[in-house]
Amino acid sequence: MELLLKNVSAGYGHEKVLENIDLSIKEGETVFIGGRNGSGKTTLLRVMAGLMPFEGSVTIDGKDISKMKRRNAAQLIALMPQAGEMYFQYTVFQTVLLGRYARSGGLFGSFTAEDREFAKSCMESCGVYEYRDRLLGELSGGQLQRVLLARTYAQGTPFLFLDEPGSNLDIKYRAELCDYLGKWAGEKTSTPYGEVKNTVVAVFHDLGQARSVCGRTVFLKDKKIIADGPSEEVINPECLKQVYDFDVASYIEKQLIVH
Amino acid sequence: MKEQGTPDIRRTNTKAAGVGIALSLAACLFILLLAIRAGSVYISLPDLFKIIGSHITGKPLPAEVDPMSDSIFWSIRMPRAITAFLVGGALSVSGAVMQAVLQNPLASSYTLGVSSGASLGAGFVLLCGFSVAGLESFMLPLAGFVFGLLTVALSILLASRIDRSVSNQTIVLIGMILSLFVTGIMNFMMTFYGDRSKQLWLWMTGSFSARNWTHCAILFVTGLIGFIILFMLSGRLDILTFGELQASSMGVEVKKTKIAAILVASLLTGVSVAFAGVIGFIDLAAPHIVRKIFGPSHRLVIPMSFIYGGAFMALCDLAARTVLSPREIPVGAVTALVGAPFFAYVFFAKGRRKL
Repeated sequence: MELLLKNVSAGYGHEKVLENIDLSIKEGETVFIGGRNGSGKTTLLRVMAGLMPFEGSVTIDGKDISKMKRRNAAQLIALMPQAGEMYFQYTVFQTVLLGRYARSGGLFGSFTAEDREFAKSCMESCGVYEYRDRLLGELSGGQLQRVLLARTYAQGTPFLFLDEPGSNLDIKYRAELCDYLGKWAGEKTSTPYGEVKNTVVAVFHDLGQARSVCGRTVFLKDKKIIADGPSEEVINPECLKQVYDFDVASYIEKQLIVH
Repeated sequence: MKEQGTPDIRRTNTKAAGVGIALSLAACLFILLLAIRAGSVYISLPDLFKIIGSHITGKPLPAEVDPMSDSIFWSIRMPRAITAFLVGGALSVSGAVMQAVLQNPLASSYTLGVSSGASLGAGFVLLCGFSVAGLESFMLPLAGFVFGLLTVALSILLASRIDRSVSNQTIVLIGMILSLFVTGIMNFMMTFYGDRSKQLWLWMTGSFSARNWTHCAILFVTGLIGFIILFMLSGRLDILTFGELQASSMGVEVKKTKIAAILVASLLTGVSVAFAGVIGFIDLAAPHIVRKIFGPSHRLVIPMSFIYGGAFMALCDLAARTVLSPREIPVGAVTALVGAPFFAYVFFAKGRRKL
């Protein structure tokens, strides 16, 4: 299965954030999307998941994502959003269980015992099972982020799109997140379209995290892809300088000197 | 922060939820009986049941029951209390759904112009004497209903023309603008027909006096259909509360669900406004109180909003007709006078501002 973008442009209002993007992501890949603030990383994830209007074509398994039924698309791609304000006070368990909607939720939004079991295992992987009866408003930023991560896992899709999944996590949870994603990426998921190798596409700000999870790196700048290749080749001092407009390598080096 | 393990229906505790539902139903039944029995004429509970029994089975009324109370309770008090209950329930369900769909705790179908549209419709009928032969007695509710729905449909149409994604802000803003505009037309009309505006004012503040079983039946049928559709959408509504982007990524057809939910909710409000006039506040307060008790899951919020809103409306109507008896207070005034402080208490007393 392949996710294919051809000549894709997208933006908000009249302003384009992405222009003429061509990109192919094959099942089983782990892709890091990098770039400065406002370089279009989040927009690219949303376009690839079929969540916002765009020009050009985005297909998954040869099917036009913008014409797919949302339920079918949500059986293949799950997107973990950046955490925002939660107005309605669902419990952690209810929230994670809602992730099963595309795979199970019938007319009345009912869930089976299997769904509950699946949701439970996702909560355990994210370390939130012990908070299952808490309301969302009672969680810290990091806990909420792990709940949203668990809900994203609960969708049970082979394509996992993560938008800064580690931003509010402490260092231990970040390490666990990387471990989990690394292990998960080597496995397969059964979908209504057959078995598909697990695929991660993630936006990180922490380059170390990005390298530990993702074998491939795509850098965005000025509405375009300016670098795309194996992470160990693309993430080099020269390239980073160009992407982030300053000497990233020597900055990181300075940070790591322990007095 | 609450301690873990506290008994709280909101925390996936099905047993507690069952008890909560049973208690609520019992309280609701008690309030309905109270609303029927209380007033200047007294009736004993067995007599009331005998009257209901004789009408349901078609048997003649037992001799020991006063035929006078039969006409008072069966023809006046019961349809009135039940109409109030159904209207309160329909308004509350509609409010709960609007709040979820628009992710705005202050939303209701009134926000989208149902009430001002309906008032304009009623204004046409009352002020201009506009009428269709054969439907004279239903002209007021009919015009209110049609104009209310037209205003909402116009809101959505305008919003989708201006903003392709039909965002919530656009809908709420357009709704408010249309409401104000329609109210302007209304006030303009009133300057020409000042002498008849008393009647219009009565309708705009809401009343359940002189309701009959036909009203009940129409309300019951439309209410039931709307309720079933919205209940079927409850899983999708749960997901929609997390925002449209997340809902879409989780597999919900956002635009379709949203428009269907808004139209059905407006239909519920439209029918209610048609039969009772404009009664505010219940659609706002009842769902909030229900979420406080039962949590935000719509499979509980929708039916419980119906029960709570209905019971609250029956109580308010009871107050409206008894407190200053024989004078009647507009029920819309009662809902706001009783509801606002109660709502403030529930909302702020425990220091939890979230839904």
